Parts: sequence; C-alpha cells; structure tokens
Amino acid sequence: MSAVVTRLRSLPSVQVTLAIALLVLGFLIAAQISAAGPRIRYSTEERSPLIETALGLQAHQESLKAEILGLRSRIGDLETQDPGAADSLRRLYAQLEEARKAAGLIAVTGPGFAFRLEDGTQGGGGVDALVSARDVRILVEELWLAGAQGISVNGERLVGSTAVLDIGGSILVNSAYLAPPYTITAIGPKDLYDRLRASVAFAEFVKGRIEPSGLRLSVAQLDKADLPAFAGTVGLRYARPTPSGVAP
Amino acid sequence: MTSARMSSRLTVAGVAALLGILAVGQLRGQAGVPGLSALSATELTQLIANLTTGNDLLRDEIADLTRQEAHLTDARLRGETTVGELTADLARIRAWAGLTAVTGQGIAVTVRGQVGGDGIEELLNELRNAGAEAIAVDGVRIVAGTVVAGAPGALSVENAAIGEAFEIRAIGSPQILTGTLTRTGGVISLIGTTYPDASLTVTPVETMTLPATQRVLGPVDAQPRL
Repeated sequence: MSAVVTRLRSLPSVQVTLAIALLVLGFLIAAQISAAGPRIRYSTEERSPLIETALGLQAHQESLKAEILGLRSRIGDLETQDPGAADSLRRLYAQLEEARKAAGLIAVTGPGFAFRLEDGTQGGGGVDALVSARDVRILVEELWLAGAQGISVNGERLVGSTAVLDIGGSILVNSAYLAPPYTITAIGPKDLYDRLRASVAFAEFVKGRIEPSGLRLSVAQLDKADLPAFAGTVGLRYARPTPSGVAP
Repeated sequence: MTSARMSSRLTVAGVAALLGILAVGQLRGQAGVPGLSALSATELTQLIANLTTGNDLLRDEIADLTRQEAHLTDARLRGETTVGELTADLARIRAWAGLTAVTGQGIAVTVRGQVGGDGIEELLNELRNAGAEAIAVDGVRIVAGTVVAGAPGALSVENAAIGEAFEIRAIGSPQILTGTLTRTGGVISLIGTTYPDASLTVTPVETMTLPATQRVLGPVDAQPRL
C-alpha cells in the first residue's frame, strides 16, 4: 500500500491532472452518446420539419398570449380612465373586475401549495411510469374537491374551458404543450393538503397509481402562490347570455 | 521551460477546452424543449393541429380585444362614456365564466346505468376539448372547480346526488361535439369498455338553456398580482 502511495507521490502533478481530466472526459462523452440515442433514433427527414413547425407554432402561441394579456391590461386602464366616471360607471368597473377575477383573467397571489408530479423510473421507464394527462386531471380534481380556489399547471391557469390531454409522453393544457415534470400550483385554505390527504379517492390514487408506477409526487406549502391570468379566448360563438340571467 | 513540460500543459489545456465544450453541450441538451424529440410523427402532427387551432382562436381573441381597445380609445377622445361597451364586456365574461345562464345549440348526452365519476370527468374533458362553451350535468353548471365524483351508483356534483339516469348538456357545435364523443375509440367507447353496464346516447339539440353556477368563483383568499 505504502509503495503505491509513494509511486503516486512521485508522479508529476500534470500527469495526475491529465488523468483525472481524461476520466471526466470519458464520462461526459459516454453521457453525451447515451443522451443523443433517442434523438438519433427519431431524427428522420420526416420528423425534423414537424419538430420545427411545432416549435415555431409554440413560440407564436407564446407571443399571441403575451399580446392578449397586454391588450387586456390596456383595456382595463382605459376603462378606469373614463372621463364620465359617475357612480354607476364605477360600479360597472368593480363588477368587471370581480367578473375577471372569478373567470381567471387576472393573475393572483395567495397562500397555497405546489405539487410536483414527475415521471418514475420503475419498470424500466415504461408507459406506466410516465405521468399522463389523467394523472394530472385526477390530482387537479382532488384539489378542487379539497377546497382549492384556483389552480395552474406549469404556468397554465385552469379555467372552465380547460382540457388536459395526452400528447406522447407530455400533455396539452389550454392548447399549450407542457412537458414533465408538472408543477400544479393551488391557492386555497391552509388545511388544503390535510383535506387532500383525508380524501379516500386521493389515497387510492397514491396507493394504486403513484406508488406502483414509481411516479414521484412531492408537495411544498407556499406563503405566496402565484397563479397567472388565463391568456386564452373568452369568446362565445354558440352560447349567448340569457336575458333574464336565469334558466327557465 | 522544457519543450516536454510545454507540451504537457498544452495537452491539459486542450483536454480542459474539450471538457468545457462537452459540459456546455450536455447542459444545453437537457435545457432544450423536453419531450418534443421523443414524439412520433403522428403525435407531432396531432400537436401541430392542436397548436394551429389554438393559435387561430387566440388570433380571434386578439382581433376582438383590438376592436374593443380602439372603441374605448375613440370614446375617450370624444369625451363619451362607454357604458354600452362595458356592459357587453361584462355580460360576455360572466356568461363565459358560468356566472349567468346561457342559451344556444348543442348536444344532450343521456347517461343510464353504472358509471363512475372518473368516466364522467373523462367525457367532460373531451367536451371541453371539442369546444363546448357551456356544460351542465343533471342541471348543474360545470365551471372551474366543479367535479363530478363518486363510485358508480353514488355520483354527486356540487354536493348534490345524481341518479342512475341523468343528462349532460353542452352548448357548442352539435356536429363537432357529437363527432368527437362518438368516434371509433372515442371517449364513449372507452367508457363502454370500463363500464359495460352503462349506456350513453348523444342527441343534437337545437336550443337549450343552461343555468348559472351557484358556486363562488375565483380565489377568495388571493389578491390580484401587480
């Protein structure tokens, strides 16, 4: 043993540094090759333009959403600057503000929780070990039932028209493409998580789906949970408000 | 400095540079768009169709908002009040959110037999995806936060029990809604596989009225973010 130590001490420091660097280099090359595996497998002439198109549409979607939020903000400013702001108008502004808050059109902050749902590694990372749209929907439904007052998934605000769909190993929320891991942020009462854990359906979801598939679910309590505003369309083509506001 | 020592230093510098390039490549590779590269051509086509439809709707919304902004600006310059514009905007938002009753064409799905809450939620998710603008289950308006839950035979919505036969009504394009629900391998056939005793029939409806929600909407514990 002491002979080995003596031999190592006799080596020039440059050689030791070089040996360590080459070792790390070997690891990095191996990691690079294994990470590039699936991409090489799928990099066909057919898929490359599709990926580029999808990326372009995603980027365009982001800019359209930003434009909508900007327009809504400017409209809100114009409304409050109305020169004839009589009492009746001020009441109308207040009603509009309330309606927008109720509809999820205003970004809000409040006490809440953040849940992180991640793919598992069990079973060689098969389909069952991937978080599906159904998993996200179940967690969201259980949060609503536990008393959540507002929820977002990876920054997409959930509203009455939100659909959560599978697309490969990822999901679509409000037509936005979201990839795992998924962060489900919920604003609600302080005992929201206790209520969630007390739910029989949530316990069944954890025991019957999360644990056997090796999915990872973690939670953090937040003093200030931020929910973004819904940046989609609120237009109605087929439905019109009933004049009386009451169903017959 | 000997030439041997010089060449050793150059080798170390070369290896370090290569290490740096590889490390950056690795980090960039992990920070790229995750998931897209793993999608098949069919899934990518599906994604592109969804993004295209979604972007078209966003463009329509932008056109509406731009008109609204121009109208408000114009009214302000002329010193006019905008009560009409504001009232119309309020009515539209309240109807969309489910705070007021709405009328329109759509479909009625009659559900008979034993179905679990998960099956009904799958169906509601599909209706939303197909562009339903308003939905009601057994006369209860479905809004953000409303969940149909329970085991087969013990369904409830907004704390009200649902019987074994009930109706789901949705306002939207009857053709698109019917086509989406009843297509081969669609949600109705999937529910039929999971719940073989259940029967779901879809009927187009020329006009229907769905009630307003009784639920308090919006985070009461939250403040607008500035």
